Amino acid sequence: MVQFGYNISQPRAINMDKNDMMISQKILRTMPELQTCIACGSCTATCTAGAITSFNFRKVHTLVRRGEYKGAYEEMNKCMLCGKCRLSCPRGINTRGVVMLIKQELGEYR
Amino acid sequence: MMNYYDHFILPFAIGVTVLFTVILYKWIRWFVRMPQEDRRLVLRGIPTRQTLGAIGEVFMESLLHRRIWRVNPLLGYMHTSLAFGWFLLIAVGWVEASLQLPGEIIPLHAHVFFKFFAPEVDYGITGGLLGNIMDLLLLFVLSGVALAWFKRMRSKALGMQRTTKHVLGDRIALAALWFIFPARLVAESATSGLKHSTTFLTGNLGEWMVNTFGTEAIMHFSVYAWWFYSIVLGIFFVAMPFSRYMHIFTEIPLIFLRRYKVHSYEKAKSFDRFQIEACSRCGICIDPCQLQKDAGITNVQSVYFLRDRRYNRLTQEVAYNCLMCGRCETRCPVGIELNTLRLNSREKFAAMPADNRYAYLSSAADRSSGTSKVGYFAGCMTLLTPKILRAMDAIFKAAGEEVWYADKDGGVCCGRPLKLSGEVEAARRIMDFNRDLFRKHGITTLVTSCPICLKVFREDYHLKGIEVLHHSQYILRLIQQGRICVEHGHNSFTYHDPCELGRGSGIYEEPREVISQIGSLLEVDENRENALCCGSSLANIAINDAQQNRISQALAHELADTGADTVVTACPLCKKAIARNASQEVKDLSEVVAEALGQ
Ligand code: SF4
Ligand code: SF4
Ligand code: SF4
Ligand code: SF4
Repeated sequence: MVQFGYNISQPRAINMDKNDMMISQKILRTMPELQTCIACGSCTATCTAGAITSFNFRKVHTLVRRGEYKGAYEEMNKCMLCGKCRLSCPRGINTRGVVMLIKQELGEYR
Repeated sequence: MMNYYDHFILPFAIGVTVLFTVILYKWIRWFVRMPQEDRRLVLRGIPTRQTLGAIGEVFMESLLHRRIWRVNPLLGYMHTSLAFGWFLLIAVGWVEASLQLPGEIIPLHAHVFFKFFAPEVDYGITGGLLGNIMDLLLLFVLSGVALAWFKRMRSKALGMQRTTKHVLGDRIALAALWFIFPARLVAESATSGLKHSTTFLTGNLGEWMVNTFGTEAIMHFSVYAWWFYSIVLGIFFVAMPFSRYMHIFTEIPLIFLRRYKVHSYEKAKSFDRFQIEACSRCGICIDPCQLQKDAGITNVQSVYFLRDRRYNRLTQEVAYNCLMCGRCETRCPVGIELNTLRLNSREKFAAMPADNRYAYLSSAADRSSGTSKVGYFAGCMTLLTPKILRAMDAIFKAAGEEVWYADKDGGVCCGRPLKLSGEVEAARRIMDFNRDLFRKHGITTLVTSCPICLKVFREDYHLKGIEVLHHSQYILRLIQQGRICVEHGHNSFTYHDPCELGRGSGIYEEPREVISQIGSLLEVDENRENALCCGSSLANIAINDAQQNRISQALAHELADTGADTVVTACPLCKKAIARNASQEVKDLSEVVAEALGQ
């Protein structure tokens, strides 16, 4: 098959009714601007850590907002807080603050 | 001994006892808890010249407040009259009392309440002269008190746009302090009037009081007046070690410790207490803070940060909301290491470092290219501003420099942003990786375009044998060595000093020299040590986008006011921040140079 450099994500279902949304809600209360994310992926595209690992910032913070916390702490720990994502985010989200907040709230979900 | 007792001295006596007990307790506790190395520095420093220097500095700063005079002469006078005036009142009062009071042992309070215990005021020449000197000193201090009152009402006259908002303890101590000297004046005058003193201030005022109200009334009144004076003194002394006035007794040991080269550090330690409690909450740090001026954030300035930290109620919000631009630190008259203290307060809020943190940093993360003794580290921010990267390439090429590119195709962050966020341990791992990389590729010169990287390379990497240069220094060197030529054109430039390059690393002149080889340089009003921050500093983890933008707008406005064609800066982050709001072109120094390259 010809490889165009694209691939298709595996379908996956998130059951929002089952997930414990407490932490997610707390995170969004503390940093409401995260709700303005348009999932454009600019943050992931510029990410320093993402260039050398499989770390995908957009994916992790999106999953956390949906109540999927498993592994998020370990993933966020790959971030170097370099700040590139903040400069490229079209919504001006304080992305470094998001990283630190998620780590703080999910520390025990290891 | 009994001659010198009266019930009214009790509040004063209790106050003094509490004051010195608490101060001694604090001093000893802080000192004992200092790390071994710090204590060794102190012990080694005591028999040196530094001790003499410290004594001089205590006199100049703690009594005369020389640095505050530089901020504003009237404000300086206020502090001098209160501190030095009070000191002289104590010293001269001591002489006066020792000369005139009978008895072998004169207890402490008899000096303080001298006029009350003196058998007969101003008898003989010593008495008259000293009495007048004491009156003069009292007037000196009272003028300071009057200014302090005035400052509460009209702070702008003393060069301050905003003054500190004080906590309750401070207000009590402040109120007591305001009353001490007027109370002293009234009590001494009443007694002087009764004893027919002739000194110019208390004597005359006393005479007037007696003549107006009658001897009987003043006799009764004087008892209350002395009680009142003793009580306000007592209240002030008790409040002192728990309020801002602890600074009086903390600045003194701080000056000595600083002379012995004890410093604060990225991790909190006991010496920090000496700095934290040396803050007088003078509020001089409020005006320069752009968070206050432009972004409307009013509870995070150094004065409030130190206060919250001192009383153990520091919130993450306050600890994180600071650009660490250093504008306040350069103005603090006590010379407190404000940036370092802010930094080391963050660690307790940071996530616990996991053992496998950054385990992915193996040789796979080495994306470097080329071989040379000269290394170039673009830094994350430069990678986001590829024009700078291309300009540096052009310059290297023009100079015929072979370069080892550390991170042109993606690299590892320098670690400073992590450190600034309080993740000191995690930052170490990143730094170790980069340092090993530099060593592995055998470079002897390391050039970077980013002042943030520059600072961390210089301060934390311990790159012995590798010279670390900012590109402004490197470019200037190339020009001076004739390795590149730049053409002087008709363009006018203005230069923005990046915080980490200027105040942070002391590099002010090199970029200016390079620019003046290319065109004319128009300075902004607040430049060099006083330069504004672009607002995007990575040190601030709490600030939101709108607030950053307001700071950037204010800066862009200042820069536009120079009328220059182009804004030049020497930091990729500043460039991006200014460009958001600038009406002219914003370029990095390297771009300007690359465009002016001649043959
Ligand atoms: S701050 Fe973290 S998430 Fe953002 S670009 Fe840098 S490494 Fe990636
Ligand atoms: S760059 Fe900003 S808006 Fe885009 S996905 Fe990342 S956080 Fe969301
Ligand atoms: S930090 Fe310095 S400038 Fe600010 S209030 Fe304290 S002593 Fe004054
Ligand atoms: S370092 Fe800058 S941002 Fe922080 S308190 Fe001082 S002046 Fe304000």
